[in-house]
Amino acid sequence: MAVQEVRVLLDNIDEPGLNHIDTYERLGGYQAMRKALTEMEPDEVLAALENSGLRGRGGAGFSMGKKASFLPKGSMDKYLCCNADESEPGTFKDRLLMQKNPHRLIEGIIIAAIAAGANKAFIYIRGEYVLQADVLDAAVREAYDKGYLGQNILGSRNDVDLVVHRGAGAYICGEETALLDSLEGKRGNPRLKPPFPANQGLYNGPTLINNVETLNNVPLVIAKGVDWFKQFGTEQSTGTKVVSVSGNVQRPGNYEIALGIPARDLVYGLAGGPPPGRKIKCWFPGGSSAPVLLEEDLDRPYSFEAMAEAGSMLGSGAIIVVDDSVPIVSVALRLAQFYRHESCGKCVPCREGTNWTVKMLERIDTGDATPMDLEIMAQVQTNIIGNCLCVLGDSMAMPIGSMIEKFRDEFVEHIERAREAKDRLSVELGTYAEPADAVA
Amino acid sequence: MPKPEPKLITFEIDGREVQAPEGQMLVDAAKMGDVEIPYFCYEAKLGQPVGACRMCLVEVEGIPKLQTSCSTPVKDGMVVNTKSDRVKQAQNAIVEFLLVNHPLDCPVCDKGGECPLQDISYGWGPGRSRFIEPKRHFEKPVALSPLVAIDRERCILCYRCVRFSQELSEDYQLVFLERADHTFVGTHDGHPYVAPFSGNIIELCPVGALTSQAYRFRARPWDIEDAGSICTLCPSQCNVKYTTRDDNKVVRVLARDNEDVDDGWLCDKGRFGYQAIHVPERVTRPMVRDGGELRPVSWERALSEAAGALARAGDRTAALVGGEATNEDGFLTQHLLRGVLDSPHVDSRTSGVLDPQQQAVLAQPDLTAKVSDIEWAGTVLVLDTELVDESPILDLRVRKGVRRNGLNVIVATSRPSTLDTNARALLRFAPGAGEALLAALAAAVSGQGDLEDLSGRAGTSAEILRGAAELLQEPGPVVVLWGERLSQGERGRQAVARLIDLARQLNLSGTEGAGLLEVPRGTNARGLREVGCVPALGPGLDTATRAGKSAGEIAASVPGEVSALLLVGADPLTTHPDRGMWERALDRATSVIAFADFVTEGLDEHADVVFPAESEAEKDGTMTHPDGRIQRVRQAIARPGEVRPQWSVLAELCERLGNPTGLLSGAMVSERVFESVPFYEGITLAEIGGKGVRWQERDGAARLPRVELPVGELEIPPRATAEGLRLGTGPSIWSNRVVEHSPLLRFLLPEQVVELSPEDGERLGLRTGDQVSVSVDGTSVSGRAFLRSDMPPGNVFLIEGTRTDNATALLNGKPRSIELLRAEETSPA
Amino acid sequence: MTDSPRGNGRSLRESDPLLADRIVGTPEQQAAARPAVAAGWDEPADIEKAPATIPDLSEVEVPPALKAEIEAHMAKYPNVRSAALPSLEAAQRVHGWCSPEALRQVAAVMRVTPAYLSMLATFYDMLNTEPVGRHYVYVCTSVSCHLRNAQALAEAMKAAKQEGDDVNVREFECLGACDMAPMANVDGRFIGPIDPSEAPEVLAALREGRTPLPGRGLGDEGFRLPWEGES
Repeated sequence: MAVQEVRVLLDNIDEPGLNHIDTYERLGGYQAMRKALTEMEPDEVLAALENSGLRGRGGAGFSMGKKASFLPKGSMDKYLCCNADESEPGTFKDRLLMQKNPHRLIEGIIIAAIAAGANKAFIYIRGEYVLQADVLDAAVREAYDKGYLGQNILGSRNDVDLVVHRGAGAYICGEETALLDSLEGKRGNPRLKPPFPANQGLYNGPTLINNVETLNNVPLVIAKGVDWFKQFGTEQSTGTKVVSVSGNVQRPGNYEIALGIPARDLVYGLAGGPPPGRKIKCWFPGGSSAPVLLEEDLDRPYSFEAMAEAGSMLGSGAIIVVDDSVPIVSVALRLAQFYRHESCGKCVPCREGTNWTVKMLERIDTGDATPMDLEIMAQVQTNIIGNCLCVLGDSMAMPIGSMIEKFRDEFVEHIERAREAKDRLSVELGTYAEPADAVA
Repeated sequence: MPKPEPKLITFEIDGREVQAPEGQMLVDAAKMGDVEIPYFCYEAKLGQPVGACRMCLVEVEGIPKLQTSCSTPVKDGMVVNTKSDRVKQAQNAIVEFLLVNHPLDCPVCDKGGECPLQDISYGWGPGRSRFIEPKRHFEKPVALSPLVAIDRERCILCYRCVRFSQELSEDYQLVFLERADHTFVGTHDGHPYVAPFSGNIIELCPVGALTSQAYRFRARPWDIEDAGSICTLCPSQCNVKYTTRDDNKVVRVLARDNEDVDDGWLCDKGRFGYQAIHVPERVTRPMVRDGGELRPVSWERALSEAAGALARAGDRTAALVGGEATNEDGFLTQHLLRGVLDSPHVDSRTSGVLDPQQQAVLAQPDLTAKVSDIEWAGTVLVLDTELVDESPILDLRVRKGVRRNGLNVIVATSRPSTLDTNARALLRFAPGAGEALLAALAAAVSGQGDLEDLSGRAGTSAEILRGAAELLQEPGPVVVLWGERLSQGERGRQAVARLIDLARQLNLSGTEGAGLLEVPRGTNARGLREVGCVPALGPGLDTATRAGKSAGEIAASVPGEVSALLLVGADPLTTHPDRGMWERALDRATSVIAFADFVTEGLDEHADVVFPAESEAEKDGTMTHPDGRIQRVRQAIARPGEVRPQWSVLAELCERLGNPTGLLSGAMVSERVFESVPFYEGITLAEIGGKGVRWQERDGAARLPRVELPVGELEIPPRATAEGLRLGTGPSIWSNRVVEHSPLLRFLLPEQVVELSPEDGERLGLRTGDQVSVSVDGTSVSGRAFLRSDMPPGNVFLIEGTRTDNATALLNGKPRSIELLRAEETSPA
Repeated sequence: MTDSPRGNGRSLRESDPLLADRIVGTPEQQAAARPAVAAGWDEPADIEKAPATIPDLSEVEVPPALKAEIEAHMAKYPNVRSAALPSLEAAQRVHGWCSPEALRQVAAVMRVTPAYLSMLATFYDMLNTEPVGRHYVYVCTSVSCHLRNAQALAEAMKAAKQEGDDVNVREFECLGACDMAPMANVDGRFIGPIDPSEAPEVLAALREGRTPLPGRGLGDEGFRLPWEGES
């Protein structure tokens, strides 16, 4: 299959020295910033972003321009936070963008900050991304030296300060309000919304929070125009998307595509499909928090709207492929363990629900569960969904719920097999007890 | 920030139309319609909701997801459903989740019967759990501190206790540790959670996880009764509930929320100090010195000895009234002295002389701020007082104002304050230079006078003063919280003149919500002054016909001037400056008659008659809060042993001295007080009720003559000495006799600490922890050195009221320079 | 039928077979199956200790370089508390872990309580409140890596750790390198894919101060995944 990537964000990505400002500028970098500063009013920038249809690439898929326009006008301290806490299992696109092309992110931040009236910006990067944070630190210094950051950028009245802030290992800090708490020097606990960050965010000031990839798109929209940007993708999912494909495929990696191409093109055409002789059992279309889809769903277009229609979501744009060699229970258990470990512990249904789910899944594997537990487990997921403070609880409950729903027979079979194995073992060890089922 | 005026809106809940203030959280507004929404983490007193427990989910029409009613402000026309199947399912789910790791050990749980988790599980839970995995089990309970035990099995991680520590008292010692389902409440590295307000977390805990070490297993909810009163241990006069058992024992003290006084919080002294009521060393029988020793005797003998001694001394009797005396006790004491013995020598202050004219000015209703003004003020000036030690609950109120309303705080104290981190401006002046500081501040505000010179006299810088002056002139009322210390020195009158002058310049009496609020030394300092327990003033702040001696003058009087000393809950060796002089005065007195609950060192050596005093829980009467709120002290338990009401003993003495009072009950004494103080006129105990009444807000206030704030030349304040080390002192929250006698609080009893700057420490070769000796004119006390980086060089601070090495030994009402030496250099070990 | 310990002559299984089946394990098994308890759950406060208030800088000796770094972090933010995470990271670099003493030093410079820092250090996975090792090998075992044999790599790494190795080998949640799966984050350097048989070499390199698997780390000169470049 000859499927072609559309390299817009990833153009020149392998250019040696792209992480240095000279190379970046030689390739046309920081021209969008000049244009935004000298030829456009902030409102025009915001309008362009909104008209481009650019949707957030971090998971929620909300219109970026609209989000920026929610910030109140006025002279209070406003902030921009770039969410570079890329931790959603299966997602590694921002890592590539930051490591290879840090200046486009910085340029995007400068443009967005000025448009939104923010003069203090932060990149909250996960602590594990040491290399990428070092690259960003160096790039920020270069940008300061050139006068692109700091006071009176390019002689204008605009100031933007940018600090690269390293996290210290917590998935939940990718949730935007937990990120703010963490950046304020607290535990990364999500906040109640409202108030929304646009009104009361970092240090209680109006705050714009955008994902790395989203901000990478900003210089492109400004430099090349709204129409150019909208030529890619579908009506509701404009632009290109860097998709991380991983799991049981032959060529895991980041692939940039125009949104709306069939998912099959991505999984098979670009990532090479599952290993020879294997079939796809299920796949996560938007990171591990997305409900799983089946083989036949691969023919759906890969776009925000089509994935939602299929009962899942495009999320962070990360496809994880599970082939038929993997027991679904082991995927569910691994997933539940992840969310249990990463739950911040603040709200009850998430903290206790993830914990309980793991315990039930563990019992399935040890032969201590009955099909009745499957019902309870499914209900526990229902009890989590919609009742939590943030989306982390749902992020476990939705995929686990979808697995129970779509692979119920496999779960039941697994339960029965494990019980039999346990009984056999206990007969061998002489600890066998008459099973309760005999009574019923 | 001005206090908002909420408007009423109408919303619908479970089919009922309900009116509530706009913006109120749904969970509270629902109560207006008699709808109860269950919750755990929400607590309005703790500020912004956190939405952690998810118990209060409700359906709001027009919003697809269930909403936490703790964080949803009501709007006009809102339609809310708390009983739909969806809501019920969510409530069942949350209770089931909560109980996943809860041990359900209610039969052996101290909280059983008064436990929100128990109530909500019954009321809103599914009634059964499908969780069959082993629950986690730990050692329990374990100590969190000597006062609080923690049972982590029962904890539901509702955030209340840690929010209290972090966001209310801001001591930030109690935190969540670990993450996710491993999260638990703890402290740093196994240190105990010991802080002035730590006990509040017990009351906040909605399960049996945090329990009082003092109350654990003392009673079940059906064994106990609550009795409302006020705490008499400091001028905050917090409203409390005594939990009593069998009508004769206080087993617990809880807050009784009064937002005009305490906001529903208590300090640990107030919460745990009740233990001193029931200790064996308490004086419960009258005693008389016999054969050089105090021995228990009959009331008849004690009364007749006391009456005899007073009759002999006549107008050479002097009385010191302790700060914890009620208005009634104070009134009767001054009556005994002035009306019966014809002696004018009665004082309830520990030092300094009050000027009658100034007192009339300070009592002006429009010049007095009330407690709730603090949080809505634009700027609060904390002047020469450490609130956490001297009126702890006001410390919380200032923090609340900063946190919630963006209050500006100026801390003007000689010693670094715990409020420094909340302050917009810090004015560190030389100890005792309050007068100069106020003069300089007034100059900075008015732009008149020699600011450079005045700030130099105060030992601070003109630039900082200018910054503070700007804050004082920002929009919003100014409240000045001033420590009585300011008025107590040799130049107390001049300092108060400067304070009044600043108040005039800032137009405090003409600004709604602005004013002065004194932080006095004694609990009922204001009431005692208003009923006439100061040498120059009779009841109602009327100038006394004959001015008597102040406490200091009583101590300094020549032999024969004062021969009998009546100590009504006063202990001059602990609380009054110049301990040496007081020792001599007590020695010299022919007879010393005391009302006391414990035999102190001074009484043991000097008292001739000791009457057993009622404890705070055994008393009936009234007190006047520093902001003018008259509050009732109410008897909660029977008096132990032979303890009699103090008023009745004072009345008996009057009668034995030939002047019957005709008073037959505590209520009659209160009535007499209200009749005798013109601006209290018409007040009744019923009107005071449970929440108190500010006399300034009654018509009777007009009976206090109006006085204009004086205008005129003021003296130039003296220059703070630049030589040697300047001595500053102040009490600790824990330097109090109930702390000494409460078994569980005793560990907090302070030992003398000598605080100095690292610069001075280095110069003198001292390190933190060194034993040092501090001396003035041959008198010295020793203590442990503590080098603190925020202490300005040149100043040394000691604690007043320690059991040994009391700093009062070094004081004489004047600024003092001290000598500081490492202890072993002075004492040949 | 064995004697019932319950006294009425019937076993739980006899009286309520369904319930008996729902109870997991004997008490011994239950004890074994008891969830791993976070350190500290059982621990009482030491009531002999003084409360951990903000330590005064005059009482705490802070290495000058660390103090300078913390102060530099504090200057970067509108609110100094934002400097807590970078400062803890710096203290961990100096002390090897977030020891009580390390926290005290940060607390003294930042003018915060040690408890505030404990609260953070125990929340974030990269901060260690136990002396687990100056080096770290985080093996990603999240779902994508799990699908590519990460568990075996994790076991191999743990097995390759020798007594005396100053290395914290642990499984870690998604490191954002699913394309490199199975992979490990070794002192900030992402290496992958790694075959479990290469685990001893990684540990040996750390032991000997060499770069583990040169050329195989993200950011190494010429780094590419095995299947990149083929088409």
